[in-house]
Amino acid sequence: MTRSQDIEARAAEWLMRREQPLWSQTDQAALDRWLDESMSHKAAFWRLEHAWQMADRIGALSARDIAPRPSRAGLPLKWWHAGALAASLLLAIAFFGLHSRPALSPQPSVDAFDTDIGGHRIVPLVDGSRIELNTATNLRTLISNKRRDVWLDRGEAFFEVAHIEGSAFVVHAGPRLITVVGTQFSVRRDGDNVTVAVVQGRVLVEDTTPGASSASITVTPGDVAIGLGSSMMVVSKPVAAVEDKLTWRDGRLVFDGTSLAEVVDDFNRYNRQQLLISDPAVAAIRISGTFKASNVEAFVRLLKEAYGLKVELTADGKLKIST
Amino acid sequence: MVDDQVLKEWFCREVLPLERALSAFIRRNWRDAAEVVDLRQDVYERVLLGARHGLPAQAGQFVYTVARNHLINRAKRARIVSFDVVVDLDAISGSDVLDPERQLLAREELRRIQLGLDKLPPRCREVVLLRKIRGLSTRETADELGIGIDTVEKQMTLGMRALANFMLGGSAKVQRSRVPGLLARRPAR
Repeated sequence: MTRSQDIEARAAEWLMRREQPLWSQTDQAALDRWLDESMSHKAAFWRLEHAWQMADRIGALSARDIAPRPSRAGLPLKWWHAGALAASLLLAIAFFGLHSRPALSPQPSVDAFDTDIGGHRIVPLVDGSRIELNTATNLRTLISNKRRDVWLDRGEAFFEVAHIEGSAFVVHAGPRLITVVGTQFSVRRDGDNVTVAVVQGRVLVEDTTPGASSASITVTPGDVAIGLGSSMMVVSKPVAAVEDKLTWRDGRLVFDGTSLAEVVDDFNRYNRQQLLISDPAVAAIRISGTFKASNVEAFVRLLKEAYGLKVELTADGKLKIST
Repeated sequence: MVDDQVLKEWFCREVLPLERALSAFIRRNWRDAAEVVDLRQDVYERVLLGARHGLPAQAGQFVYTVARNHLINRAKRARIVSFDVVVDLDAISGSDVLDPERQLLAREELRRIQLGLDKLPPRCREVVLLRKIRGLSTRETADELGIGIDTVEKQMTLGMRALANFMLGGSAKVQRSRVPGLLARRPAR
């Protein structure tokens, strides 16, 4: 093995290990050290990383393109069989809207969409579906004839999925894989914690964490599925309560006896002006009402006037709430 | 000093598309085909070291200059060329800029990925597909295929490297040019 091939082999090892679920801060620090050792390490790593990302497009190849050679048992094929099976099952049980079925472009491409803090954006997809992005959200889409994939890298989005026979719509949210059998639902991702709320139709949420590969649940209207680390639970709520969770779509936040701590977290998601609570007693105060997500001022005024709380500006520019 | 992130983006956007042209240039001008990959890696390293102090406006020209100087230095150090050959070296290659590969259309790019995949050995290909299509970890891939995790890791890294070489156009079969490169001359004395 030549010198450069040796470096390339080590770069490939790093790249592979970085994609594994057990990758830790310590590992990252070790990788950073290795990269900093020599510019040739960086060159090799960046080059492989770039090409390996290009290869993500493999997902856009059709089943025929990647069908295994005839002599061998077909693993990838199993996946497509499963998809076809799911699609036919789906036909039987799915609730779907009256979307037309536009012809999909034969040339799939990865598109990225994002919003800033406080941002809100509606993205129509070529297949007739619509994605509504909430504040501070990054997502990528890959639409092909066979499959529609969305990667929610962070944030929250509401999906209205056009039903297309034989074309699964899959949302990848960190360790969760959400396969759509229905039409309207939202996914929120905070790191590895994923919350799925369904308004209409049904979706299948799967845990993609190693060792939990068979765990999956179906979420129906009124259900909110919350995946925390390796556990996943479903909370059934009145549909109206689920819809309250989706009021961000018209710029409102609705709270019903919600703790101030949660309310503050929500406001902080939408605004650069961050709020801070120092006192547990204050954090436990219950808040009800409807607020404009972007109007921190009005909310702060309410806290002062209606709840008699003190609000002061800290040295790092946050608004601290106390009694 | 250029920030690492900026440097990396520049490298991926401006330099890597030159890989096909750069490899061809080195191959044309270097005696030993087995050294092409090492030389290319050296060039990348020097390009990054240079660009760290400020991104060059013309990547194609910059990479060409670095590559040319590196070949000359290596040739001098190797003492394999006599003076007249070094003079010839100043005239190395007709063009003074490397052309980036034309931006591929989405469909062409996909086609190239597919060709790259087809060239992988079966097991290697399978491991890459499970990773890229189903997002399986090496552990899950090992379970799925009923093979050891060591094998999966080995196949995965081989797959990554082969695909990179194929897609960036570096290691399509090393072809010796019909007209031997300047440095193909053995030292006369």
